[in-house]
Amino acid sequence: MKNKQTLLIAATGLVVGALAVLLTLNGNPANMGFCIACFLRDTAGALGLHKAAVVQYARPEIIGLVLGAFIMSVAGKEFAAKGGSSPMTRFVLGFFVMVGALMFLGCPLRMVLRIAGGDLNAVVGLIGFVCGILGGIFFLKNGFTLKRTYTLSRLEGTWMPILSLGVLALLLLAPSLLAFSESGPGSMHAPVMMAQAAGLIVGALAYKTRLCMVGGIRDAVLFGDFYLLYGFVAIIIAALIGNLAIGSFNLGFDGQPVAFNDGLWNFLGMALTGLGSALLGGCPLRQLILAGSGNSDSAVTVMGMIVGSAFCHNFGLASSADGPTSAGKIAVIIGFAVVIVIGLANMRKEKV
Amino acid sequence: MYIATFHTHFGAMSFKRQLEKLGDRQAQMMPVPRALSASCGVCVRFSLPFDQNLMASEDLESVFLEKEGGGYGLLFENE
Repeated sequence: MKNKQTLLIAATGLVVGALAVLLTLNGNPANMGFCIACFLRDTAGALGLHKAAVVQYARPEIIGLVLGAFIMSVAGKEFAAKGGSSPMTRFVLGFFVMVGALMFLGCPLRMVLRIAGGDLNAVVGLIGFVCGILGGIFFLKNGFTLKRTYTLSRLEGTWMPILSLGVLALLLLAPSLLAFSESGPGSMHAPVMMAQAAGLIVGALAYKTRLCMVGGIRDAVLFGDFYLLYGFVAIIIAALIGNLAIGSFNLGFDGQPVAFNDGLWNFLGMALTGLGSALLGGCPLRQLILAGSGNSDSAVTVMGMIVGSAFCHNFGLASSADGPTSAGKIAVIIGFAVVIVIGLANMRKEKV
Repeated sequence: MYIATFHTHFGAMSFKRQLEKLGDRQAQMMPVPRALSASCGVCVRFSLPFDQNLMASEDLESVFLEKEGGGYGLLFENE
């Protein structure tokens, strides 16, 4: 039983890594087969929530991830509408998880894909990510809680799939209503149907296995349980082999695609994302998957990430290949302050 | 052995400490088995017979009994 599960999550990781390379080969930006932060940001741009012309595209991968999780949870009779666990706090945490990710230029999943592409800046990011998660574990061990969830109406749990279908309908039936980048990362994308299919497959598998970049490190540290970490490592192995096969493996710090080489801010960006995600209980990918399977707290978190991404581009907080911005650095520092206050303010004393 | 799932990580931690106080030396926190779904990813596996009055709290979600030969039987659900 346990071996079968380990096999499934390792296989899931291999599929995610392979599909990521396939999407890159077919048009997605380099080392960006999947990136929840970038793709939510691109989708926010497509909907006109920010005006950064180079990052606007309603990414079918995001829609597919949500719908894949939705279909899988309904098929397995596990779809459960739940929520009510400090929604506004989760919104703010989602916001700053995005600020950290757009400082680094990628969510934890893209961090893994960047490592597999030879981008050593992402290894610096990984160290920051682990430090952030260790900070989150400190709060968890000291009684941090966002309070319990409650069972809600089925409709409440279905909003994220419904909204995703709405964006898909716009993309397929009324694309003239959406913004599309003509240059930059937003203009680079795999064919819609391929991206949609890849999202559906990964969404279904990630739901089934609970694949989570934060959870892997958290469970390894807290319980010595490496189940989720196998998925993490399998993604790197598959994407690494794929990148080597198509000749897009480029080891080093300099000249990496959609990345910069300022170690301090790569570290701090991912540390903020790791800390915020640990308090939320899952990485951005996991939040999307949970939102697809009925968790409205995660749906609110995703909304926080979308608004965060729009802020990042409207106020010049997001980094670019040229490096971080001053405003972005200030936002990350504010982010640490806010997330730490959230951590401290939600620590409960033991009842026994 | 029993498996208790929780709405929060904090609930799992409190439950484990409570069981330790009740003398359950085998109680341990671990990730929730995939066969069970849970709000937070952490469960407590314990050996003392489950007593709702003594052990249930707001953060407790469900308690299962591990069946011999695999599988879980639902003993308690807190809505």
